Amino acid sequence: MTDISTSHRRLSPGTKAGLAFFARYATILGLIAMIVAFSLLSPRAFPTLLNFTNVLNQASLAIIIASGLTMAVIVGELDLSVGFAASLHGILVTGLIVATGLPIPVAILVVLAVGALVGLVNGLVVTKLKVNSVIATLGIGTILTGLAFAYSAGVPIVSGVPEAFLEISLGRWLWGIPNNIVVMAVVVVALWVLVERTSIGQEIQAVGGNPAAARLAGISVDRIKILGFVISGMCAALTGILLASRLGSGTASAADGYLLTAFAAVFLGSATLRDGEFHILGTVIGALVIAVGFNGLNIFGAPTFSQYMLQGGILIVAVGLSSLGRSIAER
Amino acid sequence: MHGTAAAGAASNPETGAPRRLFLSAQGIAKAYGGVKALNGVSLALREGEVHGLVGANGAGKSTLIKILAGLTAADAGRITIDGAPVTIAAPHEASALGMSFIHQELAFIPEMSVIENIMLGLPKPSRLGFIDWRAIARDIAPIAERVGLNTPFHAKARSLSTAEAWLVNICRALVRKSRLLVMDEPTASLSAREAERLLAIVEDLSRSGVAVLYVSHRLDEILRLCHSVTAFRDGESVADLSGDALTRERLMEAIVGGNVETMPAEARANHDRGTVALKVRGLARAPMVRGVDFELHHGEVLGIGGLVGAGRSELARLVYGADRPHEGAMELAGKPYAPSSPTAAVRSGLGFVPEERRSEGLILTKSVAFNMQLANLANIVRSPALPLIDTRKRRSQTEAIVKSLAVKTPDTETTVGRLSGGNQQKVVIGRWLLRRPNILILDEPTRGVDVGARGEIHRLIREIAAEGMAVMVISSEPDELPDLCDRILVMVEGRITRELTGEDMTRNAIVSASYASAA
Ligand SMILES: Nc1ncnc2c1ncn2[C@@H]1O[C@H](COP(=O)(O)OP(=O)(O)OP(=O)(O)O)[C@@H](O)[C@H]1O
Ligand SMILES: [Mg+2]
Repeated sequence: MTDISTSHRRLSPGTKAGLAFFARYATILGLIAMIVAFSLLSPRAFPTLLNFTNVLNQASLAIIIASGLTMAVIVGELDLSVGFAASLHGILVTGLIVATGLPIPVAILVVLAVGALVGLVNGLVVTKLKVNSVIATLGIGTILTGLAFAYSAGVPIVSGVPEAFLEISLGRWLWGIPNNIVVMAVVVVALWVLVERTSIGQEIQAVGGNPAAARLAGISVDRIKILGFVISGMCAALTGILLASRLGSGTASAADGYLLTAFAAVFLGSATLRDGEFHILGTVIGALVIAVGFNGLNIFGAPTFSQYMLQGGILIVAVGLSSLGRSIAER
Repeated sequence: MHGTAAAGAASNPETGAPRRLFLSAQGIAKAYGGVKALNGVSLALREGEVHGLVGANGAGKSTLIKILAGLTAADAGRITIDGAPVTIAAPHEASALGMSFIHQELAFIPEMSVIENIMLGLPKPSRLGFIDWRAIARDIAPIAERVGLNTPFHAKARSLSTAEAWLVNICRALVRKSRLLVMDEPTASLSAREAERLLAIVEDLSRSGVAVLYVSHRLDEILRLCHSVTAFRDGESVADLSGDALTRERLMEAIVGGNVETMPAEARANHDRGTVALKVRGLARAPMVRGVDFELHHGEVLGIGGLVGAGRSELARLVYGADRPHEGAMELAGKPYAPSSPTAAVRSGLGFVPEERRSEGLILTKSVAFNMQLANLANIVRSPALPLIDTRKRRSQTEAIVKSLAVKTPDTETTVGRLSGGNQQKVVIGRWLLRRPNILILDEPTRGVDVGARGEIHRLIREIAAEGMAVMVISSEPDELPDLCDRILVMVEGRITRELTGEDMTRNAIVSASYASAA
């Protein structure tokens, strides 16, 4: 509302169209450029079906947790607890199987329910106690880390993890597609349909777009926000479970790093195809950009520190692109 | 009907000397994507002249103003000031050329003080390197007095009423010694008295030689104030009227492009008032609403008149569950009704068109269809168990309402933020026409809506009432309620002080009741 007085420099129509195009397609072009460059630089290791399957398999967990996070940001909140929550859930699921002796499917269901519960608590604290979501989820995430250490008494649960549990992550579906990819695809499609094609999805988008107007249109804003947190919590639980299965152990802070990856993917995604709007498909593309980038670094044997630098750099570029897209759309 | 203003356009009524041309715009064109907002319009503004700009919603008025203000670039055309061609590439260039703008969507910085807002972007005197606010305040004081701005200079702008925000903007123009002041629908959100004061200020400015470009849908104001008028239709200038040619009939014709039928009087009250839909007893939420009793019947249009700030919008919010009352009770069709939220109210069969369409009514980044269907989602899903949106149903239902309200939009998937102000308002109203609640509350339903569409919205309101809906209309425009309503309540300082029916429902009765103090 203030741009009249703060006097933006105006853009010519051509520049504006060019910038809008750049902001929308930069991530996709970047992804293609990376794939082409890596393929040319490492024609034997990179452009193989095996490697692509691997990258996608690796990326699956990040895509799941980032898709969940997307639900929280679409309704206009941040969920900083996802990484810590996933770590706790990894310990919990192994603990329930190994120490408590629950059957694997029951343990998984219990952990998913706990994930939903964590989301519910996040949502209630944000909507009912009116605590800013950054603070609320950071606080709850830290509490979850505490719980993870308490539950495992600081010692990773490594021995006695049954083969069948490891098989979840190692196993393959029809045509040899790894289970992780199948689970990821199911989650992505389900959330995409929910947001883009259902009446609840319309309400979710309305709450994200203008909560005051959504409320006066008769939408229960609090319930929609809580739903966003619950889905985010469940996706974090799923990621925690799959990670524990892949690692064959439950380790405190094993999944903490997913927080940053998920945020980078979500913001990169918001600058993709739409002008600074969060959406599931964008998040998937964002996560793939990061995964391909890491894969390339690995293939060329780049040192670990470069991965951190890449991730931090991507996060900043992503947020920059996202707000560029939004400001162009507003002009 | 028109006063002194109808005197000759090109000459000064006092001295008879011809007025000097200040700005001339010729052949201005602008397209947004495929939409031709302006298709070669021309306009001439003279010193000391109030020039009216009229046209239906989406005719291109605001677009022309944005071009003059340097907020957007024209695709073609020529602008001269004092006879010399100019280019206006940014807002500060427009202001250097002596132009000030008060846009349809008011701009000020809420966190800054009144005086900082007035001085925004202007060179400020300083002492010892610090801005000398005291000297500035001394300089501004007479200007503030001239426009009647009584708020303390250090008050935060966010605490200003809409009327005061307008005054701040006018002060800004005066401090800059602007030669042209452009106002886009200034009175749309002002009360009758505030509007009156604004008109007096405009007349004063024009006497002192300032050129004024005045955009409004209110023809009475245009007739009273303007020396000459340009009418736009679909991005073209279709008429330039002044002197004796400047009449209500000619204006209407130019705007709508044909004869407009005004709503015949017998369209109303030709049906019986139905049963009580809503009963309100002692409803209060201090300080704005202080004990309100009334009944709303099925099939009636109940008007709520009064001044801006009388507590009418706040009353509507209590009934709609947007705020909780401190005292009092409500009944819906005889059953106790205490909505905990708008969601609960909507479920009980209410609908609400809020006052502020942009902040409270619309999701600006979403499409026309999205916004219209927001309260109607249950009716466009394939089944309650599988709530997938039936896109065909969604489109056909939206298209029907877009057509019946004559919303000017390329298609139903266009982003609502790109529509003109009046067309955005129609989208909010369309939302509830789709849902068809039992009780519909409309807060300033025709704000910023053109004369043609205003008649159409009134007709639709009468129609849904005739079908049995109970309708409550809040309006600050004293002319609007008598035309539309079966019964009018006047609210003063949080209480209902007067009920007007039948022959008593006149503009004057509403105005005088509004100013009578609540005893
Ligand atoms: N940023 C934009 N992007 C796309 N189309 C636009 C944009 N701004 C305006 N338009 C279109 O240009 C046309 C003219 O709009 P404009 O706002 O100038 O109308 P107006 O005469 O001021 O109407 P109102 O009386 O409703 O305020 C409309 O059809 C509108 O949809
Ligand atoms: Mg306009």
